[in-house]
Formats: sequence, structure tokens, C-alpha cells
Amino acid sequence: MNRTPNGTSSQSVFLTSEDVKRARDRRHVRSHREGGRWWMVLWLLVGPGILVMLGENDGPSMISYAATGATYGIGFFLPFIALTFAMAFIVQEMTVRLGAVTKRGHAELIHERFGPFWGFFAMGDLVVGNLLTLVTEFIAIRAGLGFFGVPPALAVLGAFLLIVCIVSSQRYWTWERIVLSFAVFNVIFVPVAILAHPVSSAVVRSFFTWSPIAGGITTGFILLLMSNIGATVTPWMLFFQQSAVVDKGLTPIDIRHGRIDTALGAIIAAIAAIATVLATTPLFLHHVDASNFQGADFAKALIPYVGNIGATLFALGLFEAGIVAAITISLSSAYAFGEVTGHPHSMNSSIREAWPFYAILITAAGMAAVLVLIPNAPLVFITVIVNVIATLAMPPAIVFLLLLVNDREIMGEHANRGLSNFFGISVTVFLILAGIIFGISTVFPHLFASS
Amino acid sequence: MSTQPYAGPESRTPGEAVKNWVHEELDPDQLSSGKLSYGRRKLGMGTLILFWGLRVYVLMMILLVGFQIWNAFSSGK
Repeated sequence: MNRTPNGTSSQSVFLTSEDVKRARDRRHVRSHREGGRWWMVLWLLVGPGILVMLGENDGPSMISYAATGATYGIGFFLPFIALTFAMAFIVQEMTVRLGAVTKRGHAELIHERFGPFWGFFAMGDLVVGNLLTLVTEFIAIRAGLGFFGVPPALAVLGAFLLIVCIVSSQRYWTWERIVLSFAVFNVIFVPVAILAHPVSSAVVRSFFTWSPIAGGITTGFILLLMSNIGATVTPWMLFFQQSAVVDKGLTPIDIRHGRIDTALGAIIAAIAAIATVLATTPLFLHHVDASNFQGADFAKALIPYVGNIGATLFALGLFEAGIVAAITISLSSAYAFGEVTGHPHSMNSSIREAWPFYAILITAAGMAAVLVLIPNAPLVFITVIVNVIATLAMPPAIVFLLLLVNDREIMGEHANRGLSNFFGISVTVFLILAGIIFGISTVFPHLFASS
Repeated sequence: MSTQPYAGPESRTPGEAVKNWVHEELDPDQLSSGKLSYGRRKLGMGTLILFWGLRVYVLMMILLVGFQIWNAFSSGK
């Protein structure tokens, strides 16, 4: 065991607090594994998968699901949302294997294997997309707390300080558990759905028939279709989960648990997303025009149908979606920065050891917080553009992912096999086509107007 | 399982016991200073065409989005 890659003795390798903290986490995992306590091993190893899936159920995503329910009710979109989370699982599972086998983050691997030229392109896509997405998370936070009468500046400042407090733990395990405890509140949309009294037989029927599609296939339908895809699979998720897997210290022996973690995340996130559609279905049934609704408008409009409690839960859910996503997305930017520049990049590092990493994390969140507070900033427009950019940036990101996970030099026996490549390439082709259609329909809506 | 005491996560000069214990628990390439480069992968013509194609795709789409932004603002939305 006392061996290093270059063959020097273990004593000559410089240890950081990151190494010691990670070793302590690994000791707990090994101890429970040797004791046959599989449930404890699972408890210790879950985290990145659940966080990435619930993190992607972010502000704009929940607003997109709410708009779907208000516009189309129960029907095609329920099974379609389940399908998009199945796609998200296929894509994210690859990042678990990449991280556990190579012990490198996504940006680091792209940089190392494809060179700095392509590495910086990937990084550029991520940074721009993340900054804009972070802005939309603060929009959701502002909207969610606005329902309770919290002034925008106070809501944004409070959320920013909360993010700073959470990252200052300087311990991956602590950070992960705190954010997980926030993230589970994503299921707060489930009681709202129950309060909306959906017809259970219609819900079951929709999963078998993928129908109805109220009003048929129109421009609005295509836009919501693409928006729901963009709400499930985005580039930051690839970068975040792979880096988090590495930071957590997962190894090839943990891949099975990493898959369970990712599947659990996909299932919980799909339930929350479908619940949001069901929660806003009364707006569809009562012909409420929600086409210009933003953030807290949904919560206010739902009061007659789900009561004050339901509306309050909905607004809280919006706040939760924004805060969890803001934490995870700003961390994905910081991970990528550290991986590409070679600076220490771990939530286990002390601030002294990895100050550029923490500085990027806090600066990313801070910049987004400031942008949201600029008077007359086109926040609605930014929300729309974010979804477009995230979807457009996905094809290059997913092609990098597929090339890396098929690279036998680094993946060995864990490289993609026939079936996983079939699913992976199918998802890629689907996303590329969806991205193209989404881009075209957004920029040239008149092309679809007659359909 | 190692039960060796260690100096604590913030120790600047970890003792031998800590070093041994950490090396027992972590794979060599999990250590922050123990990573070796995988090296550059040789990119074939097909891969390069794919990469450039995707770059052009992203650039074109960004231009289209820029056009939409300009259109939205110029129409007073």
C-alpha cells in the first residue's frame, strides 16, 4: 500500500489536510464494508448523485415544470419527464465511472487528454453557462422569498451569506450532508401535488398512453418539450458529479454504490418534477392563463386550489430549488477552475491551502447575486436565454464525455461496453437533435407557428 | 483496520503514523500530490472534425441567440 505512482516512498509525498480528511472518510467506508453493514456503506457513499439530480431541479427547472402543468395538465409530459430523468441517469452514471477510475475531475481529464486548446473551450462553455444559470437561481430565491414579503436585496444577501457559511466548513463530508439536508426539501412539491387532488386514474393512464396533448403539437409544446429536456441534462452536471465523486474519494470498488446514488437522485428528482406538474394542473383545469407567470406568480395563483399551505410550500420549494442549485453550480465552476489551472480544488482543503478555489466559488455566487439586484435587469430574458445556452452547450460536453468513457487507456475494464454505448450515443443524438430544434424554434418561432 | 492516532486534519507536519495511515487508506493517485499525467491522447482526423464541427455549431447558435437578443431589445420587449 505504501507506494506512489512514481515509485517513491510514501514518506516523501507531501500530505495536505485534503488527504487526511479524505483518508478519514475512506476509513469509515472500509470499516463498515468489512463489517458487512451495507446500509451504512450506502449512507456514506451516497451524495454526488442525489445532489446533482436535485441540484438540476433548480429554479428555472421547477418554473418550467410548473408551466408544463399549468399549460398541459396531466398527460404526455408525465412519462416524458420520467424519460428525461432516465436519460440523465445514463449520462451521469458515466461520470461516476470516470471519476472513480481516473480520480480526476471532468475539466481536468478533458484538459489532460485533449489538450489545453479544447480544455479551455470546454471550460469557457461551462463558465458562461454557469454564471447565467447562477443568476437564474438567485431569481428563484428572490421570487420564493418574495412570496413571504422578504425584500429582494435581503433575500439575495441572505442566500449569498448562507452559501458562504456552508462552503466555509472546509470539509467535503460536512458540506455534502448540509446541502443534502437542504436538497431533500425538493420533495416539498409532493404535498402540494396531493393538495391539488390529481385524478389518480388519469395519472396512471398517462404513463401508459403518453397522452393527451392538450391543443396538439404546437410551437409552445415544442418549446416546453425542449425546456423540460434542458431542465434535466445540462453541462454543469457532468463537471459537478465527476469532481464530487473524486473529492468524496470514490474508487472503482464504489462504482455500484455510485450508480445507486445516481439512480436514487434521478428517482427523487423525477418524483419532485412530476409532483410540480401535478401541483399546477388545477391552473390548466380552470383555464388560468399562466403564459406570463414568473416565479412566485404560480404560488399566488395556486392559493384558491391548494390553499395557503400549499402555496407557501410551493414558494418554499422554489427557494430551496434556487439555493441548492446555487451552491452546487458555483462549486462546479470552482472545481473546473482548479482542475484546469492546477490549483488545489477540494472541499476538504483548508482556505489557506486552496484560497483561489474558494475565491472562485464565492465570486461566482457573488457576481450572480449582484447581477440579480441591478435595477431593471432583464431577469425574465436571462432565464429564457439560460435554458437555450445550456441546451446548446450540451452536445460538445456530451461528446467529450463519451470519448473519455470509451478511452480504454484510462478506463481499462470500466470503459463503456456495447449496451452502455448504445444508450449513451442514443441519448447524445437525441440531445443534439433536441438542442438544434430548441435553438431554431427559439430564434425562429415562426417556423413552427403553423404546426 | 488502522487504529493509529493522527495529528489531526490541519496538522502541517503530519507524523509518520499519520503518513502511513493515510497511505493505507487512499489509493496512490488519490493523494493530492500523487497524480501522474495520463498524457495527451492522439486525436484522429475524425475526432478533430467532430470537435471543430461542434465548435462551429456552438458559435452559430450563439450568433443566433445574439440575433434574438438584438431582435427582442430592438422591438422594445
